[in-house]
Amino acid sequence: MTPASLRGWRLVHRWTSLICSANLLILCVTGLILVFHHEIEHLMGEGLDTSHTEGQARLPLQTLVDIAQKADPTLVPKLVSFDPDDAAANYIYIGAPGVRDFEDGRWVVLNGHTGANQVLKQPEETVTGFLLKLHIDLFTGFAGQMFVGVMGILFVVSTVSGLVVYGPFMKKLAFGLLRFGRGARIANIDLHNLFGVATLVWAFVVGLTGAILSFSPLIISHWQKTELVAMVGRHNEPMTGTPISIDQAAAAGLAAFPGKDLAFIAYPGNDYSSDRHFSVMVRGHTELTKRLLSVAMVDGETGRVVEAADTPWYITVLLLSGPFHFGDYGGLPLQIIWAIFTIVTGVVTVTGFVVWLRRPRMRTAPAGIADRGISESKAGSKA
Amino acid sequence: MNGIWRIPAALAAVSTVGLAAAIVGDGFWHWICWAGLSIPLGVCTVKLWRQWPSSQTRATAE
Repeated sequence: MTPASLRGWRLVHRWTSLICSANLLILCVTGLILVFHHEIEHLMGEGLDTSHTEGQARLPLQTLVDIAQKADPTLVPKLVSFDPDDAAANYIYIGAPGVRDFEDGRWVVLNGHTGANQVLKQPEETVTGFLLKLHIDLFTGFAGQMFVGVMGILFVVSTVSGLVVYGPFMKKLAFGLLRFGRGARIANIDLHNLFGVATLVWAFVVGLTGAILSFSPLIISHWQKTELVAMVGRHNEPMTGTPISIDQAAAAGLAAFPGKDLAFIAYPGNDYSSDRHFSVMVRGHTELTKRLLSVAMVDGETGRVVEAADTPWYITVLLLSGPFHFGDYGGLPLQIIWAIFTIVTGVVTVTGFVVWLRRPRMRTAPAGIADRGISESKAGSKA
Repeated sequence: MNGIWRIPAALAAVSTVGLAAAIVGDGFWHWICWAGLSIPLGVCTVKLWRQWPSSQTRATAE
């Protein structure tokens, strides 16, 4: 690597890191708590009550939809969603008739076995909801979410550029050398290098998946406007007769993908379906396959599956980003490990910032100090 | 591969295996995940522990 290109990489590392550091610290603090969101919700009594007696049968979906509609009889069902980790939790979206989008309706949460209606609190009303909103969009909606996504990309560039400048810097140093006796700047450089390189893969993956999740509205919108529209366009007959029940649609969708579970069902006439067809989304059972969706379009009059397909690769990438960002796919030990990695990333951010704050200022410093600055700079010019 | 990259590359490899393992399956795969991801954290802890000023002073005194 030439000195000029190394200088360029150092600049990239310095500025990408500095720009995203404040947001990164917010993400680290909120993320550290959100790793344990299930446990916190349980402690605060904010979790859903999905208790039921052993062997108690699930209620038919139509019964659940009828119960949900009673919450506001002026609204009609648009979507029924199923929790992959708790089969008894059913989320039913009801909205104004004739409206295709999901802007002005509301979610009704039901216990799938008892039909008990649970009030879904607004995100700001729960501890984890508040932190999640801060984590996702800094309480500034779509613009904030895009901002966090850009910060995520900067963080990814920062990790890659950090790796590039690590090699030349460590040429004459042993791995993991911590020189605590050589002043605060050197100690911080060494801590930054050790913690940064040891946790680099984790930081890269979590940063990248976080950026992908931040851009999820754009990714889903692209899917809706391209492949989903094309799929719907191939089946644009209007609904003329009596629609089948949602249980019949679910059974037809499951029959198209044997051995899979329901993920969600979109009623005819909204953004995820045609005017005549139900979109039945299904998922697998394992940690991996339960993140991957397939869709069956079920004719709303005949109950026949007219088309079945897997979601495109970019939706698969988006769906797989969730577990690799939240660390919720390996039990409590993984959550604890995830939390420690988050703390270490916070330390890497702070030590990098301290290194930059204590950088030698050669142009304005007197000659003696400048000489010392140069030698320190040689010792540690990572940040 | 020269000495600079040997340990970072090994840590990157075990981290990658650790991250991927638990998504593949339960039980055994979870243990691989926990072990793989604990190694980089363990290396940081050991390096920090051994070179922390007070522990060095203790070692010198002994």
